[in-house]
Amino acid sequence: MGNKETNEKTPIDRNIHTQYDEENDNIETGAFPVIRRRVHKLGVSKSGRPLTHALIVLLCALLSFGYVIQLNNKTSTYETMSEEELTRLIGETSTQVQNLERRKSELTSQLNSLQLSADKQKEAERIASQNAQTSGLLSGRLPAEGKGVVITVDRGSKAPVDAATMFQLLEELRNAGVEVMSLNGVRVVTSTYLADAKGGLECDGKILKPPYTVKAIGDQQNLQNAVNIAGGVGSRLKVKFGSSVTVDASDNVEINETSSPRQFRYAQTVE
Amino acid sequence: MAAVLGLLIGLILGAFVKPDIPIVLQPYLPIMVVAALDALLGAARAYFERSFSDKVFVISFVSNVLTATLLVLLGNQLGVGSQLQTAVIVVLGIRIFSNVSAIRRFLFRG
Repeated sequence: MGNKETNEKTPIDRNIHTQYDEENDNIETGAFPVIRRRVHKLGVSKSGRPLTHALIVLLCALLSFGYVIQLNNKTSTYETMSEEELTRLIGETSTQVQNLERRKSELTSQLNSLQLSADKQKEAERIASQNAQTSGLLSGRLPAEGKGVVITVDRGSKAPVDAATMFQLLEELRNAGVEVMSLNGVRVVTSTYLADAKGGLECDGKILKPPYTVKAIGDQQNLQNAVNIAGGVGSRLKVKFGSSVTVDASDNVEINETSSPRQFRYAQTVE
Repeated sequence: MAAVLGLLIGLILGAFVKPDIPIVLQPYLPIMVVAALDALLGAARAYFERSFSDKVFVISFVSNVLTATLLVLLGNQLGVGSQLQTAVIVVLGIRIFSNVSAIRRFLFRG
């Protein structure tokens, strides 16, 4: 085959090649031979045979008609499918359903874990804000108001009130469960100190002059009792220093003084 | 030409009239269309070979369609419908290709 094509081409050769090409291009399978038309005289078919012409038109019309119908027949109905096709279809569909179910359960568990963690986070946030409030009040970072008492201690007529007694008053109030208190405009927190100073007391670096006003938020009854109890700090103030002590219960004690948070130099939280 | 005219008529008819194909006939319609296409291409080839005979065309058209349909019907009854359908389509496809190549040789003879 290849040899023949490499030969030089004369007009005669070309005819031969055409002949060979025809042979080579013939892809009829041996098993299904095309029926040969019998050779017949030219012109016979062209001359009018109206019946066969009509038949040709009809057949071609049928062909394209069927083609278009088949094109429009998009709804591949299951009715025409064979049994095995239907079985295969059911199998495929059920496999798909299983896959989707598995996917769904995966996503559901994912959703659940996400919701769980979201809940946890919300809870943690709630606790954190609660903690922030509590510690803010404890450390004196936040102003506070509420039920409590206002204690006024006058200048002592016998002697000036000393720091130890004043500190005892504060301690008594603490024992009675005071939540927030202040002394003459100084917020009393855990690190607050009291010292004697000229003409008064020194509290957290501020000089306080009498009369001393202690604002305390807590259970009114307990606080009053803590001061007025017989032999307590109230009577000690009266007896020893000659100062009058008044305890006024108030439903709305406002403590607007705040103390700036301490900077810790040595203490570190344990991780 | 009669064949082209017939094809056009069929296309228009099929586009506007939308009949329900009987369910019995539905699996065979594609095969019938392919078989008819093969017959049409054979006729075209014969036309170019100047040996076209309308009688042969009509007979080959009908017999093509009938044979293809019956073969698939037989396959369906024997339970090898889809395989036989594939076989018929393959054979008809080969024939369509050979007819087209013959037509091509006539058109581009050089």
